[in-house]
Amino acid sequence: MLDQVLLVRMRSISKAFGPTVAVDGVDLDLLPGDIHGLVGENGAGKSTLMRVLSGFYADYAGEIVVDGRAVRILSPGQARALGIGLVHQELSLVPELTVADNIFLGREPPARLPGFIDLAASSVQARRLCAELGVHLHPDARVARLSIAERQLVEIAKGVALNPRVLILDEPTSSLTRQEINRLLDIVRSLAAKGMAIVYISHKLDEVFDVADRITVLRDGKRVATAPTAEWTDATLVAAMVGRDLSSLFPRSRADQGAIRLEARHLGRPGAFHRVSFAVRSGEVVGVYGLMGSGRTAVAEALFGLAPAGEGDILIDGARVGIRSPLDAIAHGIAMTPEDRRVRGLVPMLPVRTNLSLRALRVLSRMGLISSAREYVEVQRMIETLAIRAVSHDVHVSTLSGGNQQKIVIGRWLMIPPKVLILDEPTRGIDVGAKAEVHAIIDRLAGDGLAVLFISSELPEILGMSDRILVMRNGTLVGEFSRRDATEERIMTVAAGVAGEGRAS
Amino acid sequence: MREPETPAAAARIGAAAGVLSLRPSVVATLRDYGIYLALGALVAYFAIALPQFRTPDSALLVLLQVSVIGIIAIGMTFTILTAGIDLSVGSLLAVAGMFSGVFAQKDPSAVNVALAFLLPVAIGLLGGALNGVIIAWAGVNPLIVTLGTLTAYRGFVVWYRVNPIYDLQPYYRAVGQGTAGPVPIPAIILLAMAGVAWVVLNYTRYGRYVYVVGGNPEAARAAGIDVPLMKFSVYVLSGFCVGVAALIFTSRLMAAQAISGQGFELQAIAAAVVGGASLFGGRGKITNTIVGALIMGVLFNGLVMLNVPAPIQQMVIGVIIITAVWLDAVLRQRGY
Repeated sequence: MLDQVLLVRMRSISKAFGPTVAVDGVDLDLLPGDIHGLVGENGAGKSTLMRVLSGFYADYAGEIVVDGRAVRILSPGQARALGIGLVHQELSLVPELTVADNIFLGREPPARLPGFIDLAASSVQARRLCAELGVHLHPDARVARLSIAERQLVEIAKGVALNPRVLILDEPTSSLTRQEINRLLDIVRSLAAKGMAIVYISHKLDEVFDVADRITVLRDGKRVATAPTAEWTDATLVAAMVGRDLSSLFPRSRADQGAIRLEARHLGRPGAFHRVSFAVRSGEVVGVYGLMGSGRTAVAEALFGLAPAGEGDILIDGARVGIRSPLDAIAHGIAMTPEDRRVRGLVPMLPVRTNLSLRALRVLSRMGLISSAREYVEVQRMIETLAIRAVSHDVHVSTLSGGNQQKIVIGRWLMIPPKVLILDEPTRGIDVGAKAEVHAIIDRLAGDGLAVLFISSELPEILGMSDRILVMRNGTLVGEFSRRDATEERIMTVAAGVAGEGRAS
Repeated sequence: MREPETPAAAARIGAAAGVLSLRPSVVATLRDYGIYLALGALVAYFAIALPQFRTPDSALLVLLQVSVIGIIAIGMTFTILTAGIDLSVGSLLAVAGMFSGVFAQKDPSAVNVALAFLLPVAIGLLGGALNGVIIAWAGVNPLIVTLGTLTAYRGFVVWYRVNPIYDLQPYYRAVGQGTAGPVPIPAIILLAMAGVAWVVLNYTRYGRYVYVVGGNPEAARAAGIDVPLMKFSVYVLSGFCVGVAALIFTSRLMAAQAISGQGFELQAIAAAVVGGASLFGGRGKITNTIVGALIMGVLFNGLVMLNVPAPIQQMVIGVIIITAVWLDAVLRQRGY
């Protein structure tokens, strides 16, 4: 009986890359109107499984039945014809084109003159689509001018525009804020209500719990379990994903707080943020929360000299310092891991060794010549300290998982111990296990006396890791909470500006 | 600038990461050392087909012939590693060679001799610095800047002196035509410069930064590297290499001509690219560039000895360049 309502039935699906088996005999059923959560650590095979269904890998093993008919899906075009749409994890937009151009890329509405595009129709249709989705995007805006969050929404609109019967969302919220996520989850629910079968891949378990009807867990390419959402708990889900008990996702131990390390006084940059004042003590983790465009990253970039502040003062250990460039910031002991590790952090085609030792070369070399032996020792020490999983020092970082890449970006700054560490979204897009490890690293660093400024879009993480929480909105600091007083509701209220709650302490 | 194929490949590999073991496969070894095999195969082929190719003299001749392009290609590799390019090398070589010739023609007083040898290097540095300033601090695209100076430097040297200088003093031939034992001096200079460049790229902080600036300029800036200064420096380096090459070239020909060096930029780029350097930056090796230059030299010599007509030679070399780069791209796309 179930077979008749099944939209997609996948049986014993396997896919290997050379000697590596990425997906190993996985079964998956998709029903119309059903939201199917797909979770697992990085490398568990979620994306590969969905790319098989989307026709990216013609050489998979196993059988796929769509609408009761056995099919072999050999190309993305064929998958699209079968009504299977994939929203990519990697952003695949053309920055120089407009929102509308991107949404209809490859199937532009034709004008009467052959070869020409009916731009007006394209724009109108895009506008209608955005309205349907409840997304505020101007169809004629160039994608290059959009934020990462907005681009992600364009990506989703692009997937929905195909009007698929199966919509696969691969990490659709990795760069969205809580508010935007809620909006997106509503959209997903309404699409499912129209009878679409939805596969929802995410690292953020609370979202999956929130939206999914059923959840399938993959581990090491194999299916661990599939069950209705109600039968899962946080603990059982995480245990199924990692195959072991995670004692704590937020291992924050209280450290002794020392003197004020970093202080910002009336810091401002016109158009970005203004009159921002706060202090971070040695041994303290200060969380910064804010929605997209609240100015939290701009403040961090000012402290690190990437986009220098025009107004106000920065003080390190009580002394006023001028920070006009990252070089200045580094000289004063400030380190920062960037929001987007691919853009500002890693050099993908270079090996682990080079990426890790980059900041420390000054110390590791004499008269410009690098001491390979000392470099090896230091890199090895950092790999062990942070438990970076890489086959050798010479593997290219582009081959590592997101969690390991993030550890390399953090590790680079720890090669020469800084006084202040600014972490901008250090756990974005990495899996639960790696997340717990990054949290443990943060905790240990604070224990060692570092002043840590911790920026995140994930409230549970901010609440779990911070000693104090700063909340930003519209470029100003609108709230400050101690660990004791902070709750998700209170922070959200201030961050979204719903009620004008001022400074709670 | 990022390679378009990289994110997709990275995503594919990323999907399997964690369980992915990167054992050094045959293909990966091929990708790293294939160029040596290619050179070996070419040499073997010509050695079998041509008795006269088998002599040591023939090997030295190839070395001599690739020395000028090889030296320029060393500088070119630095600019390409930073995701830049230097198209002005041929024209700059003519300028530097001309001024060297002007003083090599005069009576061999100490001052004139010193100027004949040092001026080309100084002019190379200056021409490179001009490129570098515009690229690094005015932020104009290297392709455009050096395309501009390619024209401008050539215009300058033709305007300065359109007639060639032939009657250079005999001492001047030492650099380009001299030998140490059987080995031509230019070949020794090439190998020495390649050796220094190799050490710099592999064992110095500066060399590391060159790769990082080319691989991800944003990450370089965030790591406190002075990106404009690094960019400036590679064009100065390229200019220095051109200066040395100009001295050798003029001395070998015993003539300074305004038309010297036309098309050298393309040959030097070809050497680097055949050697696997990525025009998107961050990837490339000095050893491979030199082998790339040798491949071109061996091909050229062998084809001449086989009496292949010049137009056919050009077509063969063109096909070889494209094939080499295509193979490299294919291997990289497969994730090797």
